[in-house]
This record gives sequence, structure tokens and C-alpha cells, in this order.
Amino acid sequence: MAERKTTLERLIDTVYEPILAQIPSLPERTDWDVVIIGGGVNGLTAAAYLAKAGVKVCVVERRNEIGGGFTTDEILFPGYYSNEHVLYLLMNDYMPALKDFGFDRHGLVFVKPKAQTGMIFGDGKSILLTHTLEDSRDSISKYSFKDARTYGKLMWKWEAMVDEILGPATYVPPTPAMELVTALGKTEAGRDMLDITEKPPLDVINELFESDQLRAIMLYLSCMWGLDPREGGIGFFVPLLMLRGINKHYCVGGSHKFAGALAREIVENGGQIVDMAMVTKIIMEDGHVAGVEIGEEGRVLRSKVVISSLDPHSTFVELLGKQYLSNSLKRAVEGWKYDKWSFYTLHVVSKELPQYVPPCDDRWLNDAFMNIVGFNTSDELLAHWENVMAGKIDDKVVGGHICCESYLDPHLARGTPSKSYYLPFYEGFPANYISQFQIHAPYEIEGGWEKRGKELEEVLLEKWARVAPNMKRENIVMTKFETPLDIETRFPNMRRGAFKVGDYTPTQLGYFRFNNETSSSKTPIDGLYLCGACNYPGGMALGANGYIAANKVAEDMGVKKWWKPTPGMERYIKTYLK
Amino acid sequence: MNKALKEETYDFVIVGGGPNGVGTAAYLAKSGENVIVLEERPECGGGAENTEVVPGVLIDPHTTYFYAGGAPGLEQLELWKYGFRLNIRPGYLGKLLSIGMHTTEGMSPVSLRDVEGLFKITGMTGTPPFVFELVRSIYYTPPHPPEVEVTVENTPFMQVYKKHAPDVWTPELLKMTLFDLMDEYCDTEPFKVEVGSVAWYDGAAPHHEGVAVPSLGAALLLFLTQVNTPIGGMHDYFHAIFRCAIAHHATIRTTCPVEEIIIRNGRAVGVRLRDNATCSEKTIWANKAVISNVDIQQTFLKLIGPQHTDQALRQGIKDISLKGGSLYVSHFLLNEPPRYRPKFKLKVPEDIDRVMGGFYPCDSREIFYEHVADVDGRKGFPTMPPERALWVNVGAKNRVPQTCRPPNRWLISPCYYSFPAPEYQLEGPDASAREKAKWDAWMRQIYGQVFENIESALVAQWSNTPWESEHRNAGLVGGNWMGTGLPREQWAEKRPIDLLPELSRYRTPIDGLYLAHQTSAHPGGLALLAIPYNLMHILIEDGLVEPGDWWYSAPQYIPQRGKVSAAKERVKV
Repeated sequence: MAERKTTLERLIDTVYEPILAQIPSLPERTDWDVVIIGGGVNGLTAAAYLAKAGVKVCVVERRNEIGGGFTTDEILFPGYYSNEHVLYLLMNDYMPALKDFGFDRHGLVFVKPKAQTGMIFGDGKSILLTHTLEDSRDSISKYSFKDARTYGKLMWKWEAMVDEILGPATYVPPTPAMELVTALGKTEAGRDMLDITEKPPLDVINELFESDQLRAIMLYLSCMWGLDPREGGIGFFVPLLMLRGINKHYCVGGSHKFAGALAREIVENGGQIVDMAMVTKIIMEDGHVAGVEIGEEGRVLRSKVVISSLDPHSTFVELLGKQYLSNSLKRAVEGWKYDKWSFYTLHVVSKELPQYVPPCDDRWLNDAFMNIVGFNTSDELLAHWENVMAGKIDDKVVGGHICCESYLDPHLARGTPSKSYYLPFYEGFPANYISQFQIHAPYEIEGGWEKRGKELEEVLLEKWARVAPNMKRENIVMTKFETPLDIETRFPNMRRGAFKVGDYTPTQLGYFRFNNETSSSKTPIDGLYLCGACNYPGGMALGANGYIAANKVAEDMGVKKWWKPTPGMERYIKTYLK
Repeated sequence: MNKALKEETYDFVIVGGGPNGVGTAAYLAKSGENVIVLEERPECGGGAENTEVVPGVLIDPHTTYFYAGGAPGLEQLELWKYGFRLNIRPGYLGKLLSIGMHTTEGMSPVSLRDVEGLFKITGMTGTPPFVFELVRSIYYTPPHPPEVEVTVENTPFMQVYKKHAPDVWTPELLKMTLFDLMDEYCDTEPFKVEVGSVAWYDGAAPHHEGVAVPSLGAALLLFLTQVNTPIGGMHDYFHAIFRCAIAHHATIRTTCPVEEIIIRNGRAVGVRLRDNATCSEKTIWANKAVISNVDIQQTFLKLIGPQHTDQALRQGIKDISLKGGSLYVSHFLLNEPPRYRPKFKLKVPEDIDRVMGGFYPCDSREIFYEHVADVDGRKGFPTMPPERALWVNVGAKNRVPQTCRPPNRWLISPCYYSFPAPEYQLEGPDASAREKAKWDAWMRQIYGQVFENIESALVAQWSNTPWESEHRNAGLVGGNWMGTGLPREQWAEKRPIDLLPELSRYRTPIDGLYLAHQTSAHPGGLALLAIPYNLMHILIEDGLVEPGDWWYSAPQYIPQRGKVSAAKERVKV
């Protein structure tokens, strides 16, 4: 029943009709070659490659900003930017996009500090791994000469595994398990990889090293992204994540700048990005993808190809509909496990840079990209992870990693120079320092996040102040913590705060990620491709899933690729896949 | 290390990546020019920004509403192609106005004569309606050249009234205040105070002499698109301008602060970046021009070394009034819908889409005058009793569900109260930030005059004080979101200041240096996409750019003697 309108309302309505008709607007229906759901790094990478190949692409992003996890925002409001999700990249040395696109012209600069990761034990003693071998060995030798020798010899093998296999394989569609085993058997590096894969990370590390300090830091680096150290079949993550973990690159200006560079490539090549637009449906016609619908706006984007970067439940159940799924796909969606843990992150603005010396024993800790704080021994670390996997945190054995973002990046907290050159009384605003203390945390926590969130802030600050005494309350200007619930709210496809959008276990990796029908990006649904973290190779800002999807779509559409595999990828393909 | 960059040269180097800088880049790039924009912050957009301060909650530190409904740029730059969408809800403004104005006695109904009067003087009604012509004559027309004496006859908006509404036209329009004009055409006092307050918060003022029409325009801009927000907030509107520039091959770089505008023999030849800019080579040359989208104070007193300016210029720049537009901005997150006090007899409907924004209290212009005396006269902290403190609740977030997604959360953002510019503040420049807890409580108290559950339902409050606004976004000098005020000494041919004749037309005493910031250029702020459009006329005059068929000039534009004429009729597609 129509509302009765007053004379006033009727007058206003009549006056406005012709006025609003004069504002040009986006048509309710537009046509594309490819529509990409989700403007995170995977969606953007796929779009950038395809747009530059002349494909008409449209990226639809739910948030008002592109970049997904590549977000740099003023959550410490007002005045301070944080990288609230992706803080650094692990795969700069292997990512094809960095070579294929000339990102320099967008002012993209990456910094790789030598002092990569330190671990500080209760008494201020520390171990520090750098990206230079001998500096790492020097630190290890504080605790064990034997370990330092083992580490030195070992790195030849591990670097070979990563350089020749794991690194490049990240950007090549996965190979079925049996074939992969045969292929890897061809080389020494491959055989080493097969050996190490069988073992749980904890065994790999304990068998190789004797000092608890080195064991602890290796364990942290290799399992921090949500691996169960006692799980077999994932041992290859030890060399991969440990080596990549000491080759972290930070994007100056914030990780969002990297997303901005990809967005520029898309737009400059004729692609479009629609922000603040939530896809509510993948449209099917005659058994083939026909486009997407943005329900809140009544808008339709038509295309024969849709690439989804979302989680499997969103893509297959909410947007597509179960009626289009085979039984095996239905089972895969129902059985999909999200991550073992998520993050609790405490963001801090302090007046001074955190200073670890004294009481700690290495001045390089002040420069380290990341310091792991809170664990006295590897047993405490293991106990913390056991707790987290059981849904709780014990304040006595909690710890995590601390990064001082603005030490590397002067642009996050800029302060302002004074205006005293023309206003004598007008002093400037200090550039304080921004850090984050991040710990592993369960999505559902015993005690509830309402209560535990505040408690953990105090616990972590206290632990931090023990090793960096100047990080006391008087020195702290502002804090803000975020829980796994916040991660899920900000990025709904990171269900349960799962930043990898799916656990790393043998049945959810490689050829099985998302499942054996979809892991090369193409799905059994005509025209639908996947490029999200739930697909091969996984999460963690690799710049890979989108790349693989772009390759597959270009091949299937018969579009000429303007890019070639990197030399590392070509060598991998030649050695193992031919 | 960033290898690709040797010393770079572009046709145009634009300092500052706010809406005017990037808008100018879009116009120039679309005309085939080689442009680079250099922005200090990690994100472009200047005042057109939105912050997801907690997950799912998007606040507006500055701009909320879309004022650029009259911009030729919407059509010329085809912004809809780059994703720009307005949140048009049919029937919305009718509902909004029929709720009435907030006063200490409760709601005061808007009369038919109020609205008919407003529509008449703004050209929204007429045979035919001429509102777009009026808006464009006020904002989207470069000021007249220095050799032309500005008269009643040739003032652009006077021409429009003469032609379309001769019964409204009178030479007195150039002497009146907005209150004077509304007293003739409108009816109820609360309506006039509301419209007048809108004008004030938009940088103009209902009590300033001789600027009745620009002040009317400031209010009109809000009503033109029915008091609306772009989908995704003003930052996503900015995205469209940005993407238009990029699509036409402009280069836009963030975290590249400019330290110096390089001047050789009286000519701007390039810029030098600050040492920490994310560029290897810090010198960027400009073949044709440097355009400053940085506030006029920084431009002349910092980026241009004192070796190129004299004391007369520096004094004039320093004297530019920053009054009108410095705001203490609060954002309230509640765990239940805001609840009106009983005297308002208003219930927030289930569809909280309809909770309005508005000024309170609109009882009489005396309240407005007291408020202005506090802010612009005393220039100190509020001394008004909370019942009479004049504030505005923009209310936008309750109408745009995407901006507050967490369940059981309602967002009132932004909420504005006028404060003096920090450098005028009696209690010291950083006083508002030093005493933030006290003034946050004041904000809750004054909003509590209308919404009874602000305190009880409060989950979080965020604020950006004028001091903080200025320092997080250096272009918001004085924390003034409008640029600088629009009294008649700082309007059109006298903007930014009546000091040098070339300034009002975006030119400077330095060859090849142009002004394109809300503080330095007509018509000021509000992200109108006006400065870029107006500036284009001047750049065409100086032989620096030749846009394509999509370009057309302002009808009342007068070419400057001795220059190329930028006059061009609109070609209807």
C-alpha cells in the first residue's frame, strides 16, 4: 500500500525527478569478458594480467577499498596508519608479478632488513636470524657450535629445495600426488623434499638441532602460520617458511600500496573496479556462467567467465547454489576445515622506539624486523599452540611476534613539521611510533573475547616491557587490539578469522586444494574459476593464485599471453613436469 | 632499490593528491597531457576519505555528502564509467524535510512556503528550472579576468537570475546576507536557521554581508542531489576521479611528499621531493607547469623558498582568514538505535535508513549569532550552555547500511561542532586535542539534548579535533574542511586574497605555477570538482592544453585579454 504523501513531499518529488535524471550514472547492466569477485591481491593479480592482455575485466569488491588483506588504515585514529593484516611479503624473490609489471613507476619500494627475526627468551638472551648466512650462524653459535655447523651445511640443501622446487612451484598449477612423487624422485633436491615432507615439523627440527633456542625459533618461523608441529606430511614447510621467514620484504607506504599498484595496472589497461559492491549471486544460464548480481543495488554484470577469490562456502553455496554442485564438490565444501588459529593483534603507538638493550644481549634486536617475545623455551611455545588449538590462552605461556612498523616506514606516522617559520608559537606534532604485537589465538576463546581481549592487552604489554623496558604505559599514546572476530568482520571470507581461508593439512594442500577438481583454478562449472586462498597454493599473500587463474583463463579463452614464466619456473617445469 | 627512475620529466607536475589535484590530473590526462601527481600520505583523496576505524564501521572524518551534482566533470570525465554511483533514494528529501527542524521546543514543521521559497530562489522550480545553470554560475565559472571590472551586469549568477528569474533579480542581491534573502522568500525561522547553518558549515555564512547568493549556493549544493552520499562514501567518489586519471595514463604516487617547488628565473620548473619519498630520484621536472594542490600557506611560505617571495606577499598569505569550517568531529557507535527525547515526538523507524541529519537547535538566528561570536569572535572553547550549542548531526551512516555492518550497532557519523582554527584558538593550537576527553564529553552532552541514549548506549566514540585534523592531513590547514571561509573579501575575484590580480584566476607571480587547492582557488572546498574545471579554462588560455570535443567552457566565462580563448559550446552527445 502506497504511503500517503503530504503536499510538501509531493512538491519535492516532482521537482527532483528531472534534476536527478541529469546526474549521469552507471548503467544497471554492463557486459564484460571476465568478472572477478573480490578485489584482494589474488583478484587484483588475475585482473591485472588479463586486462593487460586486452581482456575486458571488472573487479567487484565488497569493501570500500581494494586490496583485501593488503590494507593500511588509520585504525589508530586519528593520525596513525597500521598494516592491520598483511604486514610483509614472503615471496618477493619468486613472484612473477614483480618482474612482469613495472611497479617502480608507481613508486613501489620494498625494504628487506638484514636483521629479520629475533627471539628473546625470558632472561633477555636472544637468538637472531638474518638473511645473511654467517650472521645467523654467529648468533646460533652463542648456544651451540654444532648447530651453527649443521645450519651452515643444511642451508645448501634447503635453499636448493626452495629455489628449485617450492618457490617456483608456487606459481605453477599443482601436479597430482603420484606424478609429483615420481617427478621429485628425479633429483637430489626432490628426494630431499620427499624425505622431509613425511616428517612432522617438530621431528625435522629436533632431529637436526640440539639447542633449544634454535629449535624454538625454527619452530616458530615454520609453524607460525597455522601448522601443527606434530602433524606428518607437511615437513616441507620447515625449509620453505623458515627460509622465506628470514627474507621478509616490507612495502614502504604500507602493503595497501602494493594493491594500489595492481589496481593502476588494471585501470590503465581498460579494466574497471567497482567498490562497495557485494556480489550476491553468480548467474547461471543454460548450464554456463552468465555473470554476477550485486543485489543491494539491483545491478548485473554479465560475463561468460567469473573468477571467484572468495572462500568455498561463499562461492559455491551462497553465490552459486548447491543445485549446481556435483556430490564431490558438495562434500568438499561441507568438509572444508578453516585454520587452526587466527590472530590477536595489539596495535600500539609509543612516544619512543622500543629499545631492547639492556636487558637483552644483542643490539641488533633494536633493528630486527620482528622479535618473538614471551616464550622462555620451545616447550612453552608448543604448550601455547596446544592451548590455542584447544580454544584457550594461558597468560603464563603466551607470546608472539612484535614488529615496529614505523621504524621501517616513516610514512605511517608522519608527525608534522612546525609552522614556526611564519607562526612563531606554532610547534609541530611529534611523529610517534607504531608497532604491533601479534599472537596466535583461537576464534572462540575460553572466557570470551569481550573479556580476554582487554586482559591480553595488559599481559602482552607487561611481557613486552620486561624485554623492552621503555615500553611502559607512560610511553604509550594509544592502543587498539583486534581479535579473530574482527578479522572475520573485516574480511567475511576469512571465516572464523582464517587468514589462509583453509587449513594446511595433507588433504587440503597441493592438488587437493580446494579439491582435485578445482586446484588448477578451473572448476567443473562452465565458466567458473577460483583464485582465492582456499585454492592452490594457499594463503599468505603469495601473488600466486591470481596468477595461476589468469594463466588458465587466458589459455581457455585463447587470449595471447604477454608474459612468460620466470626462469625459475621454466627450470622447474623442465626438470620436473616434462 | 627502485631502479627505473632517472630524473623524470612530465608536462605537468601536480603537488598534492586530493580531489582537486587528482581531478586536475584527470582533465589534463584526458586531454593527452603527461601528468604526475605527488601525494604525501599513504592514501590519496585528501578530505574525501573514509576510515574503517573498527572492522565493519566506516566513519567520515570530513566529507560525507556529495555536493558535486552540478559538476560538468561528471559528464566530461564520464565518472560513472569508473564506478561512481550515488545512493539515490526516491522520495528521500521529501520525507526528510517533512519531519521538520529540530528546536528546543521539539520539531518545528517546515511550511510549504519555506520550500517553495527556497526552490524559487535556487532555480529548482521555474519555467524551466534553472538550478544547474545557477550552480554552475556560482561555482563552475572562473572568476573574471583582472582587466574586467566586476559589475551587477556581468556577475555570473546575476546573469542567470536576470535571464531565468527576473522577479528574483535585484542589484541588492550583491549586498544582502542570506538571512535577508530568506526573510523575503521563506517562512519559518527554524527553516532559515537550518539553511543558514548548512551554509555556514559549508564555508559560507548566512550573516556575511554581500554573499547571499554564494551562501545560498552552499546550502543548495547539499540539496541538489537530495542530501546524498556516494556508494562507498566520498572516498569511493574520489576513486572514480582517480581511476579516470589513471585510465588516461596519469601517474599518481603516494608517500612522495614534496619539499620544494624549484624555481629558476621566475619560472616553476619542477619539484624536489623530501628525502624519505619512495622514489629514488627526488627531482621531477615539469615541462609546462607545476600545479599546487597544497594549501596556499604551505605553497608560498614553505615550498617556495623565501628567496623568491617578498614580505608583502608573505604577510598577505598569512592574513588569509581561516574562519568558518574548523570542526570538532565526533563519531558515535551505539548498541541500539539513537532514541529521540520525547519532546521531539519522533521515533526512529525500523528502517533506520531514515534517521535524519540536521542542525540543533534551530529556534532562532540569535542562537546562531551567539555561536558565531564564540567561535569567530572569542575564538576559544565553547562558552555556550549545552542547551544552546548549535551542532549538526550528519546522520548519514544510518541511511547507508554498508557503512555499519556489525549486528546491533548504529553509527552516527560525523557529528560536527564548530571550533576555532588551531592557530587562532585562545587556549593554544593543540588545546582541543590536549583536553580531548573533556570536549568528547561535551559532544556527548550536546548531542544528548536530542538523543537521550547517547551515553547509555555508547560503545565507542572517535573524534578528530581541528588540531588533529590538520596534522593528519596537512592540506586541511586550520583543520578547516572547506579551505578558507567565503566572506566577500575571499570570494571569486578576491579569492584567495585581494593582493595580486592573477591569484583569483589560479595564476601566481611565478610563471608556470598554478593554484588548485581549496584554500587558494575559487570556489573553495566541498570536493566539487570545480577547481579542476575552472583551472582548465586558464591552462587553455595559457596555451598549455587542448582538450577534445568532450570539453565545454562555462557560459559566463570571459577570456582574458591577450590569451587564447577557452570558450567552447557544449556538444550534446
